[in-house]
Amino acid sequence: MFSVSRLRARHASPLQHAAHTHASLIAFLSILAGVLVAATMGCQTVSKPVAASSSPPVPTAIGPIPGPPVNLPGRANPLVGDPVALQDGRRLFDWYNCSGCHGGHAGGGMGPSLRDKVWLYGHKDDQIFDSIAAGRSKGMPSWGTKIPEHQIWELVAYIKSMGTTQEPDPPVEPADEMVPDPTGKTPSPEEVQ
Amino acid sequence: MDGKQKLMATAARAGILLMACVIGVALSAPPEKGSTNDIPGELPGIHMVSPAAAGQWTMPAGDYGNTRFSPLNQINAQNVKNLHVVSTMSTGIPHGHEGQPLVVNDTMYVVTPFPNNLIALDLTKAGFPQKWIFHPNPNIAAVGVACCDVVNRGASYADGKIIYNTLDDHTVAVDAKTGKLVWETAVGDIKFGETTTMAAVVVKNVVLVGDSGAELGVRGRVTALDVNTGKILWRAFNSGSDADARIGPDFKPFYAKDRGKDLGLTTWNPGQWKLGGGTVWGWISYDPELNLIYYGTGNPGVWNPDMRPGDNKWSITIWARNPETGYAKWAFQVVPHDSWDYDEIMENVLVDMPWQGKTRKLLIHPGRTGFVFVLDRETGEVLSADKFEPVNWAKGFNLKTGLPDIDPEKRSHTGHYAMHVCPSSTGGKEFVPSSFSPRTGYLYIPAHNTCMDYMGTSVNYIAGTPYLGATVRMYPGPGGYQGELMAWDVANKKKVWSIKDADLPVYSGVLTTGGDVVFYGTMEGWFRAVDAHSGKILWEFKISSGIVGNPTTFLGPDGKQYVAIYSGVGGWMGATALPSVSTDDPYAALGTVGAMKQIKAKTQPGDTLYVFGL
Repeated sequence: MFSVSRLRARHASPLQHAAHTHASLIAFLSILAGVLVAATMGCQTVSKPVAASSSPPVPTAIGPIPGPPVNLPGRANPLVGDPVALQDGRRLFDWYNCSGCHGGHAGGGMGPSLRDKVWLYGHKDDQIFDSIAAGRSKGMPSWGTKIPEHQIWELVAYIKSMGTTQEPDPPVEPADEMVPDPTGKTPSPEEVQ
Repeated sequence: MDGKQKLMATAARAGILLMACVIGVALSAPPEKGSTNDIPGELPGIHMVSPAAAGQWTMPAGDYGNTRFSPLNQINAQNVKNLHVVSTMSTGIPHGHEGQPLVVNDTMYVVTPFPNNLIALDLTKAGFPQKWIFHPNPNIAAVGVACCDVVNRGASYADGKIIYNTLDDHTVAVDAKTGKLVWETAVGDIKFGETTTMAAVVVKNVVLVGDSGAELGVRGRVTALDVNTGKILWRAFNSGSDADARIGPDFKPFYAKDRGKDLGLTTWNPGQWKLGGGTVWGWISYDPELNLIYYGTGNPGVWNPDMRPGDNKWSITIWARNPETGYAKWAFQVVPHDSWDYDEIMENVLVDMPWQGKTRKLLIHPGRTGFVFVLDRETGEVLSADKFEPVNWAKGFNLKTGLPDIDPEKRSHTGHYAMHVCPSSTGGKEFVPSSFSPRTGYLYIPAHNTCMDYMGTSVNYIAGTPYLGATVRMYPGPGGYQGELMAWDVANKKKVWSIKDADLPVYSGVLTTGGDVVFYGTMEGWFRAVDAHSGKILWEFKISSGIVGNPTTFLGPDGKQYVAIYSGVGGWMGATALPSVSTDDPYAALGTVGAMKQIKAKTQPGDTLYVFGL
């Protein structure tokens, strides 16, 4: 620690050394305690003893901070409720081959279902955004450098609409005569040799 | 008992002992006659590629001929009802357990689904305890590019090594005694969507490895490695120039349609062959006498046929090649310009048998297309092609031209649904292998009956993501059943009997034995023994999860016959049973969910090896 070495005398007797060591230890412990207190109170107080010394400042923490939960500002989807975004998101879901992995209507396959209640990495807008932008370890590619931010939000909007009345149809759903038999009726044995 | 009786009894005992010894010898080292061997009780004129599976199971199909027939007969139609569980072992990985364990000397070897651990079990001790486990530690990102669950179809034993493939495209050779890695070779790259799920086959000093990923725009191929070092010896692609496809002066296809220069280039729109699919994810057969390997190739990439005008060679093709040089002897493209995802990577069963009055060297191929093809394996001539499940994409096959008679109504196009196409992409059967018994002349086929609506869509190629280009929805086919195990009389080209499954396809491999017992499993988890002649269910036992693996049989160190099977539902059609797939999207799991809705109500994922004995 920076402050401990400065308290130590260069040519000290064993006794002095012991005393100095003792003093150093107390100083060290008190600083440590201060840091711990500071850490539990928030980042700002940590910088104070640093500012008093000539040492470089302690960087501000990134990511989770030990201690009680802190309400970080979440990123909400700016396109929530935008019907155009839903349609675009549906189109992009095919365009970027999401449907190839997650299924034609996102029911899963190579990648997990996005229709069910299970979210491996969180169901909040910003968590889904991060899953798309940064990728996930089991093979979800990171799309952050390939898909513009606006389009990622459109995909998030579409994903969150699944199973709701807002969920759009696929863009290539065919005209009437080509709609798959909605009853799932199979051909009669006469039709098939 | 007087002296004479005693003498006779002793003589009889000696005779039994002698017979037992002969059988024992026959099982450990089957007599060879050319490339074929004599199986006790085989029908007149039928010969198998040697060696037969006998007491061990050292390669994926048990034998090079891919018959999955074992002459073992301790377990037979009379006593199979006494079969009971001898040992179980969990692999700890609740995904599709395709493939089968190996048995070499006193050890059983199990390759797990991803992360593809290799587990050795000691057959000399009660309960078959674990000897060692080998972890290849494949890249977890491979999970995201595996099309159809994270399966593995097994290993081969050769030269003191267990050789198999990992999902992230590495072939590994592991010392069979110590469990230590001997060599490891990269044969592909997950960055481009390539995975490897098939079971490597070793012929002489050549390890033959295929690939997977025709749904991600990969280029299908077989890679040959040196069994001693893992060094790549040759590579034969299923698209591109003749040089890439290892087509040389010895190439003599039977049909004119398969002749010509650089067909792997000229039967595609420019450049599309680079993303042309035609992967090799099934089984490889070998005929030692003709010194030819046989394998089929998968669907062309992309699934939308309009995006790749032409015949798209060499997708959906059966190849005959020299294993040492890799050069092709013949090729037969089963389906030109596929519009249904009819991969024909299924097993090629090699048998010599009387065919219309003359003994011929046959290659029997029950396919996804819904036809059983019988070829002359010396020339590639198609001798017969007969439907074994409901089929309407083609009316039949022209044996003169080698071409299917396609119904144009059943061909999909961009934005146009081909409706009620039978069979569905998953086929009249899938990769799950059939078995041939020389004692009955029947091929026992694990079959499906599903149909589909299929529409081509436009798609962008983005490396390492699906390159699908189709919207597919499957559903049960006509007739009120979805799967069946059938006995197919090869010589008479007809179904003899079948056991139907109303709700699920039959997605397990089949085993036949010298005891005239056929073993197979259902997706619900019933493991069954069936009379090979009558189709009567002789015994069944419900195991912990649906069966998508292949039964095997072997003689333990105690001289007793055992039967092994994996439980663990999964794979393409089984993926609907996994928690990551929803049943409210019929287009999910590449369109199979619509046909598999019932599976979640019938079985849950599992991960267990079962061994049965008398």
